[in-house]
Parts: sequence; C-alpha cells; structure tokens
Amino acid sequence: MSENRRQILEMLAAGKINADEAERLMAALENGTASAAGNAGGETKAKAKYIHVMVDAENGGKGAKVNIRVPMQLLRSGVRLAGLIPVQAREHVEGAMRKNGFPMDLSAIRPENLEEIVDQLQDLTIDVDDDSSKVKIYTE
Amino acid sequence: MIPLTATVRMRLAEGRSWRIWIPLFVVWLMLLPVALVLFPMMFLLGLLVRVSAFRLYGTVWGTLSSLRNTLVEVENEDVLFRVRIV
Repeated sequence: MSENRRQILEMLAAGKINADEAERLMAALENGTASAAGNAGGETKAKAKYIHVMVDAENGGKGAKVNIRVPMQLLRSGVRLAGLIPVQAREHVEGAMRKNGFPMDLSAIRPENLEEIVDQLQDLTIDVDDDSSKVKIYTE
Repeated sequence: MIPLTATVRMRLAEGRSWRIWIPLFVVWLMLLPVALVLFPMMFLLGLLVRVSAFRLYGTVWGTLSSLRNTLVEVENEDVLFRVRIV
C-alpha cells in the first residue's frame, strides 16, 4: 500500500474525513498516478511559472478590472510557511476550518508533498461568469 | 535573489499619469538594522514555539525572493494602478 493511501485511510479512521471524501481523494490519487505514468511515457509538460487571477466586474455601469500575476514560487513559499505554523496555532486554525465545513490536516503539508500540491495547480483553470462579473484563474 | 526594484504606475481620469521606480535594494539596506534586531528575536521565538529558526530564516528569505515578477493591476474607467516587482 502506498504512503498516500495509508494517510487517507488513517484520516478516515481518525474521523478527519468522511467516506465520500476518502473516496474522492483515492480517485484523485489514482488519476495522479495515471497522469504521472503518462508523463513518464515521454509526454512532458512545461512547468507553469505563474498563476493569474483576472476579475472583470461591472459596478453600477462602471467597469473595473483586476489582474494579478503571482509566481508559483511564491505559492511554494506560502505552503512552506504554512508548514512552520506552531502546533498550538495549527490546532486553532484547523478547528476554525473544521467549524466552517472545511476539515483539513495542515500537518499533512510537508516538504515532500509540496511539489505535488503545486504541480496539481498547473492544470488549474477556474472560470466564474455571471451577469455582472467574470473571474478567471489560470496558470501559465 | 530578492527583488531589487519595483515600479508603480498610476493613471488618473484627467489623463495624468505617474510612473514611480522604487529601488528596493535601498529599502533592504535601510531595513538591515531592523533585520539584525529581528533575527535574534526570531531565533528565541523559534525556540519557544519549537520551530527551527534556521528553517524560518530560509522560508522568509525564500518568500521575499519569490516576490519577483509579481504583478498587481487594478483598473477602472477613471484610474489605473499597477505595481510590478522586478
């Protein structure tokens, strides 16, 4: 059994996630393994360097645009900083997140799985489009 | 390498615009005495909360370094504001 699968099962056993979430995580893990195998087969993708957030909003007839470009390296540093949160503070943060319906184990963010988190963001594209505003998040 | 310069551009409705070049390396030099005071404090804080102070220094340095090429741009019909860290 792989280390990741074991971690998911441990989180399920500890009640940190429910069965549905565990199933989704397992599926994501399998997809990740499959895509990694695909890449190993010769198809390599250029690494994304930036994440863009673009907002185009209409506010009372006046349009406003926001364009933010964040280097991926800054995200990596952010994840590293999250790994330095002291245990006491981490418990508070996890408690608050759990209360808001977002159970997450911050201690699971370790340098060894940091690259995996950032790599997953490389295929990210989020489009939110409604009558008054458009939001687009993508990597480049 | 930490960012050395930043450019700020502002454009107002009347068509006036400014472009300000900020030499961040001067800012870092001015902050150096503050950093010299902060380093031992961070070390003690690290001991208190059981976090390696050297890891903390490295992460703070890494965060500063990764600010390069960050761009923030806000624009509406009247005003444009753009900050670029180089």
